[in-house]
Amino acid sequence: MRNIFLIFRRDYLGYVKAWGFWLSLAAVPMFMGVGALFAAFAAQSSPVRYYAVIEPGHVYADAINAQFRHDEAEEQDQAEALSDTMQLPAQAGAPGNIKAIRERKFVEVPAPATDLDGLRPYLLGERTVAGPDGDKPLFAAFVLSSEGGELEYWSDDVNIQTLRYVARDAMRQLARDTALAGAGLSTDFIDTAEAGAVKVPARRIRSAEEQESAGAEVTLADRAPVFVAGGLAYFLWLMIFSIIQYLLMGTIEERSNKIFDTLLTSVRMRELLAGKLLAVFAVTSTMMLVWGMFALGGSAVLASRVPGAGSVLSPFMAAAMSPKILLPGLISFVLGYIMYGVIFMALGSLCDTIQEAQTLLSPMMILLMLPMFAIFIAFQDPGSRIVEIASWVPVFTPFLLILRMPHDPPLWEVLAQMGLMAVTMLAVLWVAVRVYRAGAVNGASIGDLGKMLKGMFRKRPA
Amino acid sequence: MEKRLAESPLVLTEVTKRYGSFTAVDRLSLDVPDGRIIGFLGPNGAGKSTSLRMALGVVPPDEGEVRLFGRAPDIASLKRVGFLPEERGLYKKMTARDTITHFARLKGLSAREARGRADELLETTGLGEFRSTRVSKLSKGMAQKVQILATLAHRPDFLILDEPFSGLDPVNQQGLEDLIRTEHARGATILFSTHVMEHAERLCDRIVMMARGRKVFDGTLADAFGKLDRGASLDVEEGFDLAAALLPKGFEAHRSAARGHGDAWRIALKPGQGPQDALRAAIEAGAPITGFAPDEARLRDVFVALVGDAEAARLDAAETEHALREGALAS
Repeated sequence: MRNIFLIFRRDYLGYVKAWGFWLSLAAVPMFMGVGALFAAFAAQSSPVRYYAVIEPGHVYADAINAQFRHDEAEEQDQAEALSDTMQLPAQAGAPGNIKAIRERKFVEVPAPATDLDGLRPYLLGERTVAGPDGDKPLFAAFVLSSEGGELEYWSDDVNIQTLRYVARDAMRQLARDTALAGAGLSTDFIDTAEAGAVKVPARRIRSAEEQESAGAEVTLADRAPVFVAGGLAYFLWLMIFSIIQYLLMGTIEERSNKIFDTLLTSVRMRELLAGKLLAVFAVTSTMMLVWGMFALGGSAVLASRVPGAGSVLSPFMAAAMSPKILLPGLISFVLGYIMYGVIFMALGSLCDTIQEAQTLLSPMMILLMLPMFAIFIAFQDPGSRIVEIASWVPVFTPFLLILRMPHDPPLWEVLAQMGLMAVTMLAVLWVAVRVYRAGAVNGASIGDLGKMLKGMFRKRPA
Repeated sequence: MEKRLAESPLVLTEVTKRYGSFTAVDRLSLDVPDGRIIGFLGPNGAGKSTSLRMALGVVPPDEGEVRLFGRAPDIASLKRVGFLPEERGLYKKMTARDTITHFARLKGLSAREARGRADELLETTGLGEFRSTRVSKLSKGMAQKVQILATLAHRPDFLILDEPFSGLDPVNQQGLEDLIRTEHARGATILFSTHVMEHAERLCDRIVMMARGRKVFDGTLADAFGKLDRGASLDVEEGFDLAAALLPKGFEAHRSAARGHGDAWRIALKPGQGPQDALRAAIEAGAPITGFAPDEARLRDVFVALVGDAEAARLDAAETEHALREGALAS
């Protein structure tokens, strides 16, 4: 144990003393902060744009304005629904205090010309029109075609499609309203009919006793375990993904430093491997811990500042602490980490240079992308046959077992898959130690397969 | 370190190592007695490094047996060994002090002991001011010294040094020779490999010569020189028959060249005869001596005598490379 600790300590300190570690540590919170600020700034900094509609009357312009109002009302409804979910305390005198954040960024102004040629200098930015946000060029104009069958959308910037989509929805609504009126029906007819439709609320089936106390409503507490399991599986994947370079570079450094002979006259091979694996595990854990604390701190701030945020977060915390997820999660985590870790370490021991290692990175990435796809599929439909089968394939098991846990797979399956993971991990460890020895001690390289295989099965010293 | 046992620190019995069809070491038997300095000599590729790696259990032999302090090499027996590998390597980002401390701790010293020992060694070897310098910032020679100190830090009973002089300038080579003598005086057994015979001549009690994976000689320096057809050169005044004069005294002389002011003779010495004996016999025989030069016996000559010129040429090539490197380092 002492030797493992000494190897672990040296490697760990070696990694955390490097500038790259601190940069990586700072990068995620920094990018999250910058990203959030950027998103907020982008939402606020979006300019108010003017548009005009050339039509004989004001029917289409009104329809577009109505569509804007309709969309805004929907956003308002969604915000209020979220406030209900978060159980925000009602504030006296402010029933509509939850407001959709987005303000309308497209404003209709009177058309400064009666045809497209007249509008051209306004649309090209050569002339401006007066509007509520000052004088500006026209961002877009709608021109009714001569046959009246199309409302052409003209703009110098065709990449921003928001206004066009709103107009398209408005035209559909207008067509529907016109058709209803033609049939002698009120324009509210459809809405009234839809309001009378039979609702299909989601209910969670539980045992009679549980249902008595917890009710049947589907709440965040029902959905949180799936999200937590998904997060945990992705976290394991991210951790393995981020250790590749540490394990590869660390092993290459020692191989190029010709230090193995010295080390192996002081420690056993298994102690060397264990110490190195633990060090990299500790490095990535330190990163994850710091990021986790950052996220926890952010959540705590959110919970204290935003009313109701605490009630949103607590089901997730409860799910993360649930033994049903935590225990298989931890076991899968450790076994999966060791299995993947020793593979990368063994491969690193066959490389003399970073260039050589880079040639190995592609197959390693493919190996790692497969579980990522499996995670994605399992998150969408954990009960699918392909996920059930894939969860028996050892490279997928650590991720898929975690993801399946919220869906109560049979106990025998959980135990069998854990056993399979353990056996696979031991087999991989057995081979990896021999590959590592072949590379580190006997100088086998990736292109030196014969020598490597011979090294793998060479008699081991005591 | 605990008191040394009287048993041989290292015994190799008929060990063989093959890499594919190439036999790197062929049935090597070697007994390294306690408290000796033993030179392991031979050109590059003679099997020295492989033998040492087998001795330490880094690579297992295909055949034969290795006993390190009376047992198969394991971590317990290896704790009593200090090993300097041929291919030097250190963690480049560690400081000199941390490097020595780390390796000393791996050999069983406590953190405090190891740090104290690192400071002591760095001070006594003139590297005290570089204790906090990263290895990557040290000169190659300094880094090599740090590695040697890391090898000695735990006061091993048995030092195995693979080409320890390689890469050192002449001043540092002398320093290393002194260090080896100091370690020997402390009681350590030392086995070092080299292809530079002079180091062995100056340091060793005993030498083992290897060529093409086989041991070709194992014995004392005196035994080694005994393998040579030794002799002396004697110049006498022209016309004196030295052969006839020395024959009754048991010495065999042959005229080798005629010189302007006399004749040069070559005397072949038999076992038990020394150059001084030949000189004394010539004086007693009334030879008019004008010059005398005993053969200067060198280990290289022993090696040539044992393995022939072709193998010796490989040794010369290695020595030339070494000398060139030394020159480069010195300049």
